[in-house]
Amino acid sequence: MPILKDIAAIAKGMSVTFREMFQPTIVENYPDGPGPLKGAKFQERFRGVHVLQRDENGLEKCVACFLCAAACPSNCIYIEAAENTATHRVSGAERYAKVYNIDYNRCIFCGYCVEACPTDAITHGHGFEIASFNASNLVYRKEQMLAPMPAHMGANAIFNRAEVEAGTPALPGQGS
Amino acid sequence: MAEVNITVDGKKVTAPAGTLLIEACKGAGIEVPSFCYYPNLSLQGACRMCLVKIEKMPKLQTACTTVISEGMSVTTDTEEVHQARKSMVEMLLGNHPLDCPVCDAGGECELQDMTFSYGAAESKYIDAKNHKEEQQWSPVVYFDRPRCILCYRCVRVCGEGMDVWALGVQNRGVSSIIAPNQDDHLECEECGMCIDICPVGALTSGAYRYKTRPWEMKHVGTTCTHCADGCKTTLGVRRCDTGMEIVRGDNRDKSGINGDFLCIKGRYAFDFAHHEERLTQPLIRKDGRLTPATWEEAFELIGKRFAEVRGKHGGQAIGVVGSTRTTNEDNYLLQKFARVVLGTNNIDHHRTADFPALAAALSGKPEMTASMRDVFHAPAMLLIGNNPTEQHPLLAWQMRNNVRLHRARLYVVNSQPIKLRRQAASFSQIPAGGEGKLAAFLAGDDSAVDALLNEKTTRDSCIALREKLRGEANLVIIFGSEIRGNNITSVVKFASAIPGAKVLCLADYANSRGAADMGLYPDLLPGYHRVTDAGKFHEEWGGVPEARGLTFPEMVESAKAGALRACYLVGANPIGRFGIDPYAFSHSFVVVQDMFLTETAVMADVVLPAANAYEKSGTFTNTCGDLQLVKKAGEVTGTKSDFEMIVRIADAMGFDLRKLVPFGRGAHFDMGQSRGAQSGEADRHAVWLQAQGLEPQMSPFDPMAILDEIQRLVPGYDVSRMNLLAGNEQHTTLAGSGTGALQNPELIVPAQDDLFSSGTLGRYSRTLNSVIENHHKESAETDVAAD
Repeated sequence: MPILKDIAAIAKGMSVTFREMFQPTIVENYPDGPGPLKGAKFQERFRGVHVLQRDENGLEKCVACFLCAAACPSNCIYIEAAENTATHRVSGAERYAKVYNIDYNRCIFCGYCVEACPTDAITHGHGFEIASFNASNLVYRKEQMLAPMPAHMGANAIFNRAEVEAGTPALPGQGS
Repeated sequence: MAEVNITVDGKKVTAPAGTLLIEACKGAGIEVPSFCYYPNLSLQGACRMCLVKIEKMPKLQTACTTVISEGMSVTTDTEEVHQARKSMVEMLLGNHPLDCPVCDAGGECELQDMTFSYGAAESKYIDAKNHKEEQQWSPVVYFDRPRCILCYRCVRVCGEGMDVWALGVQNRGVSSIIAPNQDDHLECEECGMCIDICPVGALTSGAYRYKTRPWEMKHVGTTCTHCADGCKTTLGVRRCDTGMEIVRGDNRDKSGINGDFLCIKGRYAFDFAHHEERLTQPLIRKDGRLTPATWEEAFELIGKRFAEVRGKHGGQAIGVVGSTRTTNEDNYLLQKFARVVLGTNNIDHHRTADFPALAAALSGKPEMTASMRDVFHAPAMLLIGNNPTEQHPLLAWQMRNNVRLHRARLYVVNSQPIKLRRQAASFSQIPAGGEGKLAAFLAGDDSAVDALLNEKTTRDSCIALREKLRGEANLVIIFGSEIRGNNITSVVKFASAIPGAKVLCLADYANSRGAADMGLYPDLLPGYHRVTDAGKFHEEWGGVPEARGLTFPEMVESAKAGALRACYLVGANPIGRFGIDPYAFSHSFVVVQDMFLTETAVMADVVLPAANAYEKSGTFTNTCGDLQLVKKAGEVTGTKSDFEMIVRIADAMGFDLRKLVPFGRGAHFDMGQSRGAQSGEADRHAVWLQAQGLEPQMSPFDPMAILDEIQRLVPGYDVSRMNLLAGNEQHTTLAGSGTGALQNPELIVPAQDDLFSSGTLGRYSRTLNSVIENHHKESAETDVAAD
């Protein structure tokens, strides 16, 4: 009775379909999900927009050694170094990055800069919605990538809530 | 010298007797690592990195202090040697901070390289490191004590090489410290040789401090634009918002005539290029004020006014002043422009030596000019006048080290007790202004000796000196601008009587010699041909005005009288340098090409912002006559090279550019379509074409097109183009020059620059100024202390 065999096969197949219909959804509901991530979920290891870390004193960890720029295969990191002074201390060591730009037109998110960093200053965050209609917006400045000040030290101006709500400036890649 | 045979790692090596083992190994291509050993400095044997196994010797030996001997059998590649090197690196790193990411030497540090090649991956030391704060010893020298590995190279180069002895060693053994001569700071010539020679980042430069990292820069080896010695300086450049910024000068490849040497100016005084007062757009005087304008407006105006003056009043109503810091090509083009386009011989420059007299004296004689390398190898030297330590630092280095390494004899005759007397076999102090009389005396005029006598110098000592000098074969006679005119003839006459003797005439600016050779004289064409000699220049250029032109002081007089209707000053600041009344030119149309609004530029009708010698290509001739390449390193947006501006002005005057710049000649086939260099690969075909003079110079702004003409027409400049392009110096001879013409000796005005000043450029160099201020401050302090 081949017809019975066919019916049994279809029933077996459809049973999987009907069973799964009542299971919870496992694909990400991006961009219609709740919360600031709009439903996107990340593995811890995800390599998104970079975050420049601060040390426990709120000073920048970056000492402008240029090793990330040297390691970068797409040559997207531009740094200008300067010397810390007693009145203007930015990083923990003698020197700091006066300018630190990453050109996200070129960045391939390979993570070599993170590997190269001797002070663990540059890390990959989870920022990912960086598409823009204007390529020059994709050159991120240090201020856009810096981690917020530790809570006990007061927030970085750039992470000021009021400013964010007013729509300026864009805030990609916060948190890690 | 006898040859000695040794065996290194089973390889037979032959070297002259007396060779150090480390050098013999190097010659055989076997690397023996070392920190403290440095060629041409005394031996130290401090770092113990060069330990090798020598057969029949009980312990490992230092290759840098062992002289080879016949039959010596050496191994550099055993487990024992490896272990010794590894332990040495580990001990050096015992207290060396691992702050490579913030250290300026990171990336070009010998300790980093050695650790990578010979060191261990980890250290057994767990003790806390002994930290000391970094010290600033002078505006340009920083010392970070924990980084020091005590190789003593800095101490030796400062003392033996520079004869400054500003660095020393305090304490003994492991607690040794490199210390400056004044408690906490240095009082020295600020040459920066200690920084250059430091294998680690213990001594770092204040000018380059934390600016960038070595691998971030492009390195361009070019000729220094300060004094007339022509050192090769390697400029590290990095792109910036306004073009290419020069961030560092150093002596990276040591391939120039200066070898290891570079003074403060070559090393740090490139910063005038990015001074904030730098002009970056043309200025035209409108309603009495200099206002910014476009290049087109400026060229149109200049072209119109120059053509008007030439048409109405003739070429003699236009004066041209050239520069001693522009390239040979700029200078050649400028005088050709003056003579062919403006139709005038009114052209002059700031003279600092009497080269026409030298050319006249040497005319028809065999090759008798000394090159900078000759000074290092000559068996005997005579220095008359000048103070090379201050005015010609490289020359002084060559003389000092020739005495130290080759036991040459140096004879110094000067009116002041100059520092080089410390190396001199004989020093004669003569009354000020007596240098000319000395020349006459040397040439055989015994009556001239009376002018040389004082309490230290007697008639007998003068005669003894002359007799001694007459016996010195291959003597190099070096004289400063004190000797001019007929006195040069006397010196040359004296030199001709000595077999193999050579002469060297000292001028003051980077291309003073080039400006003279290229004919920036009212009565001389390039190569010291007189304007009246109908020669190849007349043929080639289609006629040159034959009347002698005006010298610069005559131009000023002519302008005061209202006869000089237009004046064109390229890279010159005579108003500031000679203290001339700026209103002298109030009736003339004045065009100035310069980097800054100098005293001369402020009174101009049109000011054109010029690129400096670090921002263009061409050639420089140093005071010895060594021709060297100038390569473009930096770039400041908004400036143009003098070459381009001259051509544009000629164009605006409606002149046929092909008659001015021979471009568009050469090979007309293969314009590059059939070739193309891969990235990073040299375009060998282009190099070959360029070296053979076949490169199609397609642009009227190509200085190489004028170099072709210079090499064809100027005697002595027909040197190997291949060698020149490869970055080697090529000595030009004056033997084939024209007959010169007697110049008024009053027109020679020495620059009077010392180690820390450099004319207009020096005024705009922050580093030089900070060093000068620091020295003033120090001397003021010591004055107070002394009282």
